Amino acid sequence: MEKMTIIQAALCGVVYWLAVGNLPFVGLWSLQRPLVCGMITGLILGHPVQGAVIGATINLVYLGFMSAGGSMPADMGLAGVLGTAYAIVGGLDTDTALALAVPIGILGTIVWAGRMTFDCFFVHIADKYIEKEEYNKIWRANVLFPQIMCFCMTAIPCALAAYFGSNYIQGILNVLSGKVLTVFQIIGGLMPALGIAITLQYIFKGESKVFLFAGFLLAVYSKLPLLTLGIIAFLVAVVYVQVTSAATPVAADYDDEDDEEDD
Amino acid sequence: MENKKKSLIPKAALIKAWLIWETFPQTCYNYERMMGQVCAHMFSAIIGFLYKDNPSKRKEVMKREIEFFNVHIEFGSCILGMAIALEEQKAMGEEIPGEFITNLKTSLMGPLAGMGDTIWQGVVIPILLAVCIDMTRSGSGNVWGAIIYAVVIVVAAYALSYWNFMFGYKAGSEAIMDFLEKGILNKLIKGASIMGCMVMGGLVVNYVKATCGLKIVSSTSTYNVQESFLDAVCPSILPLAMTMLVYYLLNKRRWSSLKVIGLIVVIGIVGGVTGILAY
Repeated sequence: MEKMTIIQAALCGVVYWLAVGNLPFVGLWSLQRPLVCGMITGLILGHPVQGAVIGATINLVYLGFMSAGGSMPADMGLAGVLGTAYAIVGGLDTDTALALAVPIGILGTIVWAGRMTFDCFFVHIADKYIEKEEYNKIWRANVLFPQIMCFCMTAIPCALAAYFGSNYIQGILNVLSGKVLTVFQIIGGLMPALGIAITLQYIFKGESKVFLFAGFLLAVYSKLPLLTLGIIAFLVAVVYVQVTSAATPVAADYDDEDDEEDD
Repeated sequence: MENKKKSLIPKAALIKAWLIWETFPQTCYNYERMMGQVCAHMFSAIIGFLYKDNPSKRKEVMKREIEFFNVHIEFGSCILGMAIALEEQKAMGEEIPGEFITNLKTSLMGPLAGMGDTIWQGVVIPILLAVCIDMTRSGSGNVWGAIIYAVVIVVAAYALSYWNFMFGYKAGSEAIMDFLEKGILNKLIKGASIMGCMVMGGLVVNYVKATCGLKIVSSTSTYNVQESFLDAVCPSILPLAMTMLVYYLLNKRRWSSLKVIGLIVVIGIVGGVTGILAY
């Protein structure tokens, strides 16, 4: 079993801050995804490949999670960083790591709500800068101050949780054996259904419904990798859209010809 | 062309404004104004070019732009481009009331946020993630899926945002309305939904795991429910049933994801302890 050093724990904290602090913003689309932050956490702990694989598994739950209108249903950044760190240090298998990461992700939403609330304070600093016509100082209110606060709210607790949590994980592991471990693995195996179902809420509509089952059967019996399946799905979508949107003009042409014949 | 009209703002300043928008929109995300502050931050890069000798007019612009605003960053960037174009025309003497700019911004942010979140977070990210997760877990595992995902999504976000920002700046509000009403968008959403559904079908097979552990033992033989019955009907039928159940609860029963997580934990404990589910 490995041990986490203080520096490694601090770096985990920094990764979480960058992932959730949205600095730069595209971190929300990239580093916040457990696939990416799991790989970086693995890199910090000296096992990038293992980190990527664990992160990828955790990410299955958060496939279609949406942060819209300022809401954050689950903190996948914290789940990705801590879930991966605990799994690598404790030598957990990927499904157990996933079952462990999900409650961590729920805990993380507190950080997001706290930040969204306290950030209101800085907007009024920006209002004051405008009142004094010091427009070149607005960046401080928009980036500098809130990010210092965000760092304290995210990096420090995450680093502490990574450092102390991974020392306890050994003890937890001893409890996690036999039936208890099986239960954890079953939960981890079922959890991706949530990520897929959330995505389906946005796309499983009308004409597209039947294609879920087409994709399912194709995957069951062909055993194709998802990349190939994705390319096939793309082509099917293109063909379907072309055929259905061509249907109306074709029918019109047919009517015209009919008329000519009548003449 | 009307588009070739003279402008007060140099291209470099415009690009700087866009970079501020795309990089810092959520560094101070808050419940009070959402992304209002980043609009002001963005305008601080170009305000020097507007109303060169009228400080009170400048302050008016800044006060107007720090008001409540919230949109999908990449899909909504055309609104910011449009707002800059309108403020610029107003500064050049055109009769544009300040409220008109604010109203236009707020009326466009709803549809663009809805569309952007659905396409970006509901289709593009899940499909790209699904493929890259599969890539990462193939064989004995590798880091390429994670790297490819991060690079593709970052480049796509910056490219879409830039193109959209400049589109809004040059073409203005009518063009945005026009685009929103056109059928192209519906076709795009339809195609993306079909592709997404097929990929999700494949994902169910590959990554949702549910196996029945029941074995009916008689004096002569053992009947394995999973192998002899469920796999004969259709392999992966339990994962599909589980996914459809969760979808039903979320969509028809309006369960929160938190409640679903609770249910999955209960199913896991009950199934695991009784042996109905196996790993």
